[in-house]
Amino acid sequence: MTLTHQYAKQKAETVTVTKTEPDQFDIGDWTQTVGDPLLDDPRLSARNMDVFYADNQAIHNVSLDIGKNEVISMIGPSGCGKSTFLRTLNRMNDSIDICRVTGEVILDGDNIYSKSMDVVELRAKVGMVFQKPNPFPKSIYDNVAYGPRIHGLVSRRTELDEVVETALRKAGLWDEAKDRLDKPATGLSGGQQQRLCIARTIAVSPEVILMDEPCSALDPIATARIEELIAELSKNYTIAIVTHSMQQAARVSQRTAYFHLGKLIEVGDTDKIFTSPDHKLTEDYITGRFG
Amino acid sequence: MDKSHFDRHTSAQYNAELEEARKNLMQMGGLVEQQVEDALRALMEMDSALAQRVIDTDQTVNDMELEIDEECTRILALRHPAASDLRFVIAVTKAVNDLERMGDEASKVAKHTLELADTGSGPQGYVELRHIGEKVRQMVSQSLDSFARLNTDSALAVLQQDQAVDLEYGTAIRTLVTTMIEDPRTITRALNVMWSLRSLERIGDHARNVAESVIYLVKGQDVRHIKLDEVEAQIRKK
Repeated sequence: MTLTHQYAKQKAETVTVTKTEPDQFDIGDWTQTVGDPLLDDPRLSARNMDVFYADNQAIHNVSLDIGKNEVISMIGPSGCGKSTFLRTLNRMNDSIDICRVTGEVILDGDNIYSKSMDVVELRAKVGMVFQKPNPFPKSIYDNVAYGPRIHGLVSRRTELDEVVETALRKAGLWDEAKDRLDKPATGLSGGQQQRLCIARTIAVSPEVILMDEPCSALDPIATARIEELIAELSKNYTIAIVTHSMQQAARVSQRTAYFHLGKLIEVGDTDKIFTSPDHKLTEDYITGRFG
Repeated sequence: MDKSHFDRHTSAQYNAELEEARKNLMQMGGLVEQQVEDALRALMEMDSALAQRVIDTDQTVNDMELEIDEECTRILALRHPAASDLRFVIAVTKAVNDLERMGDEASKVAKHTLELADTGSGPQGYVELRHIGEKVRQMVSQSLDSFARLNTDSALAVLQQDQAVDLEYGTAIRTLVTTMIEDPRTITRALNVMWSLRSLERIGDHARNVAESVIYLVKGQDVRHIKLDEVEAQIRKK
């Protein structure tokens, strides 16, 4: 595989990307991921990631590239490490005392785990949307304006108004919220709150948006709106989404990564993963068989 | 992949639904196989009663098609099958369609048999009918067998036989055309034989489709409209 990304090139030799014969694959001796975890021109590259919670290893040597303007979904059974892996991509695990991370995540040529990395700045570049909508107990306007304000992205009120409107429009919430911008965000419905959280994330113009089960607390209509929004946002942003709904993964993403017991088992085009996956564990999971 | 592969879902009810679809497909397959065999025997032995039975059986085959299709639709709607399960449901739906068409063609052979019985027997084309008929009957049987055992080698053999049948069919048609030119009085008879041959050849095509569905189910590769050696390469891969 040709890697044009400078850093990926240097690191390629430390990463195994050769395909494994699925039949010979044993989870106990796991060393390799089936499929192509590396891309030619990635937006974000995770290399040899290990994550430990105290003595317990939650992620085992995961290397994965996330492409530009790509939606990648991460699926796997509960406790497989998909959310943990997602959280390593903007250092959300830093807030957990017992959590230790090794390996590298490269964004714009820099390792986000290097000492010089400003975590606040990082999280503006790599935004996150959580399982349950978590608006601040402020007005709708202030929720969206919060990021641009603390990052000092705007100097004048009119400029801020513009940023808020653009973010709400992109999140598909403007028409519903424009007449009540000064009302508390908590008065919105669950689906609207989640779209507000997405608006809040994109207000700081991130490069990558991480979504951790963004629709699990929403009804089917609100879910469909978020999925529609993900498709729309992927024109401008790179999105990594963790989901328990395989239909959702199949609908919204171009690539799918399957995790099992902290290992990245298989990565591939979503179409391929859902019609003819190569690895037996992937097949068993997405078809609802015993592990 | 073997049959037990489909018994391992966390949901036992899901296992049962897939098994039911598989069982019904095999039952329908058995019925159609018998229909083809009977149509051939009726033709060879000019047995009008048997030919009539073949025509009558067609309604049962049609009903089974509707029933199995409905089962598959229900599985798609309620279970959202993925990967091998999805391929299984798609393969069953397609195979059911092909089996129903085979039944239709067998009925056509039976109808031509009744017409041939009316016009009195003659020897033209019978050797070809027997020969092609026997090959096609084997293809039907083997395509169903490959579905039951999820055996791609056996499915490949069906594809190979279909090529042979197509060649023989071409030769038989040329012979019959020559007969008609030489003696125009044979035209009515020769046309009935020709149409029967055509139906048999179509049954072979449907058996080939079933075999292709089996390869899709097992290998996840769509092998329609590609050359035989490429199909073989796909099967040997991995």
